[in-house]
Amino acid sequence: MMEIRQQLCELFEENAEEILTRWIAIMQESGLVKDLTQKELEERGKAKSDTIIKCLKAGDFAEADAYAAGMAQKAVREAMTVDQIISGFLVLRDIFGRFIKQWYKDDLDQLMEVLDIYEPIARNVVNIVASAFIKERDFLVKQQQDAILKLSTPLVQLWENIVLLPLIGILDSVRAKQLIESVLTYIGQTKTEIIIMDIAGIAAIDTKTAHHILLTIQAAKLMGTEIIITGIRPEVATTLVTLAINMQGVETRSTLRDGVEYAFNKLGLKMSEASKH
Amino acid sequence: MENSSIPILRLGNYLISSPQIAIHDKIAVQYKDEVLQKIVALKAKGLILDISAIDVVDSFLVRVISEIASSANLMGCPTVVTGMSPAVAITLTEMDLSLSGVFTALDIEKSLKILREKEGRHA
Repeated sequence: MMEIRQQLCELFEENAEEILTRWIAIMQESGLVKDLTQKELEERGKAKSDTIIKCLKAGDFAEADAYAAGMAQKAVREAMTVDQIISGFLVLRDIFGRFIKQWYKDDLDQLMEVLDIYEPIARNVVNIVASAFIKERDFLVKQQQDAILKLSTPLVQLWENIVLLPLIGILDSVRAKQLIESVLTYIGQTKTEIIIMDIAGIAAIDTKTAHHILLTIQAAKLMGTEIIITGIRPEVATTLVTLAINMQGVETRSTLRDGVEYAFNKLGLKMSEASKH
Repeated sequence: MENSSIPILRLGNYLISSPQIAIHDKIAVQYKDEVLQKIVALKAKGLILDISAIDVVDSFLVRVISEIASSANLMGCPTVVTGMSPAVAITLTEMDLSLSGVFTALDIEKSLKILREKEGRHA
């Protein structure tokens, strides 16, 4: 068996150039590699065929793992599609297969034996590379999801004991729940006295959203922190009144500037214009 | 009647109490009596309830705290509840229980500040 493997590898290496040329031709025809130059294509094709040959030679997949790890990151960064990744290997697999059939066409028994060795290896290499690529992409998606969730409740310290919380977009139940949790945890950790919730970025409000905001304000109050609301748009204000939502006991200001001023006053701080000389 | 064994400490004109044990209904009622008695006995001008060690509350305990505060207030002794954990705060608001007539503060220092302001003195 070792002999066949050795023989196969040698045959592949001898015909490397022809294999590569054929691969490039098929890939270019498929239209999947439009953005790549001839040189880049050559490099990629060679890397792929080297990987298969090395795996064939060694009989294990250490080389494929190493190649996949490096390639996956790069491919995700370059926003390559699953199509592009897998077809590159599949085309190469077919070319190799065709060569094998040509070399051993006179001896059917040996051809079968060779294919039995070659095919599982080629299949596995494609598998490993595709899994690595998808894993890397899943990781990226997860990372981005986390970032979006964190971004949705940005707590910015304006001054000692004054923190700004600008809300943007739509406040659905998931986000609202996360809002309450992160605000209260933040209060618990930092003992901030006043939080200015700026809702100028919230286009529309419904009963549920208003309820979530009020819930956050009440819970914060119980912990000893005042939340004031700024930037209520006319539409939002009208909705709140129409829905008869009780905003009593909630300090509201029209602009963020007024909110900051209120917070400064509350903490006994004073803002003044610097005197001009 | 047995003692609730929750310490109530005096600091100047104020009383500070910080329960460190789980408060059952029976203890809660005893505790309320003790606090109110102590306010009279020491002529306290303010009460600080530090509940930072309490991580579970039920509606009864909230009512007791609310009652302590309202009664103390009537006796000229404003009450500040302090150190409420995020979990407790969420539970209370979700159960729609409000601590009416109670001041809340982030820590004991800020509680003292509130009481001093109430008394018309500056910290």
